[in-house]
Amino acid sequence: MKFHISRQMIYILALALVFLIIVFIFAFAFLIPSGKEYRMARMDAKKISYQVDTIQAEYDKINSNLKTLQADNRHIIGAYKTIFNPERFKKMYSPHFESFSLSKLAMHSQDGEFAVYEVNTSSLIQSPQGFYDFLDGVNKSDNIIGVNFPIHFERDANLIKSSFTMHVYIAGQKSTIEDENK
Amino acid sequence: MQYSFIKPRRKTLISPEFKLLFFFFSITIGMLFVSYSFLKIKTLMYESTTQEMLAKGETMRQGISAMHENIAFIQIERRHAEGIYTENTVLKESIHNLFDLVPEKITLSQALLKEDELVLYGVTPSKEVYEFLLQAPLRSIFHRSYTSYYAMPNGWYSFVSKNYLDREVSAQ
Repeated sequence: MKFHISRQMIYILALALVFLIIVFIFAFAFLIPSGKEYRMARMDAKKISYQVDTIQAEYDKINSNLKTLQADNRHIIGAYKTIFNPERFKKMYSPHFESFSLSKLAMHSQDGEFAVYEVNTSSLIQSPQGFYDFLDGVNKSDNIIGVNFPIHFERDANLIKSSFTMHVYIAGQKSTIEDENK
Repeated sequence: MQYSFIKPRRKTLISPEFKLLFFFFSITIGMLFVSYSFLKIKTLMYESTTQEMLAKGETMRQGISAMHENIAFIQIERRHAEGIYTENTVLKESIHNLFDLVPEKITLSQALLKEDELVLYGVTPSKEVYEFLLQAPLRSIFHRSYTSYYAMPNGWYSFVSKNYLDREVSAQ
């Protein structure tokens, strides 16, 4: 029996073979590498996503801590940023004294992160209780204020004349003071 | 004149078999390209997502660093403020104690408080009263205590009392 293959069939087979070769070349040259790239990119994305989630959790935790700390120390944080207002201070604390005067606020020194301003005060009090009340009130004032030595008390008829120095601490003014010192 | 009993077939360049073959080939090639494009697009999307997440992670790291600094600064502020509040309270207590120390018989005219020094000016009915009622407690508080008396016309004494605290020198 003679096996006859037509010319057209030969063309078709040859074309199919060429096509198969093209498909293989395409698969190995492009499809498989891009598949690998895809898998790698997906793995990287998952890995980075996990890392970002971890960082996010840490961020949220620290942010929560910061908010709590800020809420707990709201008064102190605000007090370090508040500019000292002598008029307001006098108005707030004059009820403790018969008379109360403040000198002009002057730059004094640098205490770590804080600029220290000095203000001298002189006052008349009826009894030391006024001074004690003032010291209690200073701890609740709008600024961070330390009452410093020397403190001088002198009898003046039925009143007590007192003079003392106060230090007002303000945060975030380091560079200003350093510039002034230069 | 007719030479054949059938109608002549229309001859085409590509036979129906070839057309079918090309149809399947094009379908296969199309699927390959679609797969390739899908992989490329998804890869680009993942890479873009990765870049975004990296940027977000970096931003959050910087945020964490800034928050740590902020927390440290607030803690410094709190410690500093608490120190000052304590000093004010201690000062109040010290002055309170000083005035409580002065007996009714002795009248103070002046008091000067320094960090390591207390100077008192006043009037006492007698030296003994001063020594027993005021100097003794002052001596228990201060390291050094000196008093000068000045006789007054009415028989009382005005006095100047200087009291010193010696600072302890710490070994370097």
